Amino acid sequence: MLTYITKRLLRSLLTLAIILTIVFILLRQMPIEGYFANYDKLSKVQIDSGLSQMGLDQPMPVQLFRMFRDLFKGDLGTSRIYRNNVPITEILAPKIPISLKLGGLALLVSLTVGIPMGTMMARHKGKFFDHFGTAFVVFIQAVPAAVYFLFLQLYGTELLGIRMLFDPNDWKMWVLPVFSMSLGNIAYYAMWLRRYMVDESTKDYVQLARIKGLSENKIMTSHIFRNAFVPMIQYLPTSFLNTVIGSIYIESLYSIPGMGGLLVDVIKRQDNAMVQAVVLLFATVGIIGLILGDVAMVFLDPRITLGSKKGGR
Amino acid sequence: MQNKILSVKDLNVKFNLRGRTLHAIRNLSVDVYRGETLAIVGESGSGKTVLNKNFIGLLDPNGFIDGGEILYYGNGDPVDLAKYKGEKDWLGFRGNEISMILQDPMTSLNPLKSIGAQIGESVRIHQNLSGEKLKQAVYDLLEEVGIEEPERRARQYPHEFSGGMRQRVVIAIAIACRPKILICDEPTTALDVTIQAQILNLLKDLKVKFNLTVIFITHDLGVVANVADRVAVMYAGDIVEIGTAEEVFYDPRHPYTWALLGSLPQLGIKGESLYAIKGTPPNLFMPVVGDAFAPRNPRALKIDFMEEPPYFEISPTHKAKSWLLDPRAPKVEPPEYIKNIRKVGGEVDGR
Repeated sequence: MLTYITKRLLRSLLTLAIILTIVFILLRQMPIEGYFANYDKLSKVQIDSGLSQMGLDQPMPVQLFRMFRDLFKGDLGTSRIYRNNVPITEILAPKIPISLKLGGLALLVSLTVGIPMGTMMARHKGKFFDHFGTAFVVFIQAVPAAVYFLFLQLYGTELLGIRMLFDPNDWKMWVLPVFSMSLGNIAYYAMWLRRYMVDESTKDYVQLARIKGLSENKIMTSHIFRNAFVPMIQYLPTSFLNTVIGSIYIESLYSIPGMGGLLVDVIKRQDNAMVQAVVLLFATVGIIGLILGDVAMVFLDPRITLGSKKGGR
Repeated sequence: MQNKILSVKDLNVKFNLRGRTLHAIRNLSVDVYRGETLAIVGESGSGKTVLNKNFIGLLDPNGFIDGGEILYYGNGDPVDLAKYKGEKDWLGFRGNEISMILQDPMTSLNPLKSIGAQIGESVRIHQNLSGEKLKQAVYDLLEEVGIEEPERRARQYPHEFSGGMRQRVVIAIAIACRPKILICDEPTTALDVTIQAQILNLLKDLKVKFNLTVIFITHDLGVVANVADRVAVMYAGDIVEIGTAEEVFYDPRHPYTWALLGSLPQLGIKGESLYAIKGTPPNLFMPVVGDAFAPRNPRALKIDFMEEPPYFEISPTHKAKSWLLDPRAPKVEPPEYIKNIRKVGGEVDGR
């Protein structure tokens, strides 16, 4: 198990290096006009000195080597355009906790609401609660999020008696963004959990559990729910870590200074070092999420063994 | 032998399917005696499994009992299982009084729970043990069903067991409940032949050891000959002939039983194609008029199409529902191959 995780981590480093190299090469294909706000008015000399300041005059392999060398030292680089001459770690440092808190809370809410909801829907399949839940899921999935996000903001702020502008120190301000952000996941978890649970409940082993004399509630919790949760657990770490990345729409709607939209922003502005740093962060998050998901599966499903060739399916 | 443990009287079971009603069990009556092995045979869809699911309260949600009684005498005074509604009534009964072994051992165990935990569940509910005693009980059960190294095996998961071994585990689970009646719903169909014999022998041993009454559902007549004391032949939701295994095999009276026995490959003549019953069973969405088997019966009488035959008693233990047994009926000889059964009996009968 430990060897497997180590191997996976080493391989992930390679993956990250490849991702970064590709992003690096792509960024260098961007027109140089993008690096200057007033390109047309600059003389050739000014442009050249500007490029050399950014290190863009060097051959690509040299630049690439420099980037990896800096990374190795733990230096993410300095922003040139997004915020001139500010170390990127300093820019990201205050943003990450906000997105993390927002996303973490949203995930907590979606799990604590979505999972009981899915369970109840499966338990009362075909009855009122199931229909109600299905209607909710369909609504959330079919109506563009922008529509109900706006409604929530408009009427929610009025209801809670708060301003629309975000203040991280006021807990009330967190309610609406967190709730808006969890709606989609509530529907998602409820829908899939219901589906997996309904699948499981038709299996023979559930029949056998009934024959044993287990009560319906006990069967639900110790057989059906547990088995249905296995395919879902794989995605939990990823969806948690993805919250670091933030939500563009919610964050801009409530003016939350998080990570949402940051990547798009810095690509547009051709802030190479920023793009590389943000891509590195997102890719790391994604890869760690996958590894954690796989490890979680091993703990829940005895049929899956990692790394070793024996057993398993 | 005359000590009834289960007595079904005029049972009717129907299913609602897309607005139509399917009459799956039609006025069926049967008695099960304490300590016997009753085999229920019949082709797919004849209602064998549906009948037995009533005994344990596991009828599918769209099925319902529409009249009739299922009297259970396990604890002296009879209780009518047909009146049991919902989980509350069944909880103390399932497993405790009647347990069941399912057909496919590959799917009847939870893939994510260890073997020990799954047997343990049963032990905890029905024998009220916990901790070390529970563990010991699980090991004993595993040994009981012929699984070696129980301490190690109990920690393993179903995917580490072969099909035959899994069926042994399922049997251990059923036995752990200490039931009075054990329903075996085609317990060997999904297994290969060598394993079949082992499982059948195991069931026979356990039956004696735990003083079980066994209801054996199967369409494998070879298995029937091996295990059954009495045989009930089901067709289209009713029992058309019932008697001791000897009587049904060597002196069958109902044309359907003849046809069923005729389908045994062992009775075929080398070089000729195997016998198969022509036609299909009646559509149970429609009311059945007369003898349900008449349309497929080349020896059918006129009355078979008009009136349902009653049971005619051939011996105190043997009765069949066929107009051929009426004193007024013309003499119809059973087909030639029925007389050959005794000759090939050794092959069919494993005893």
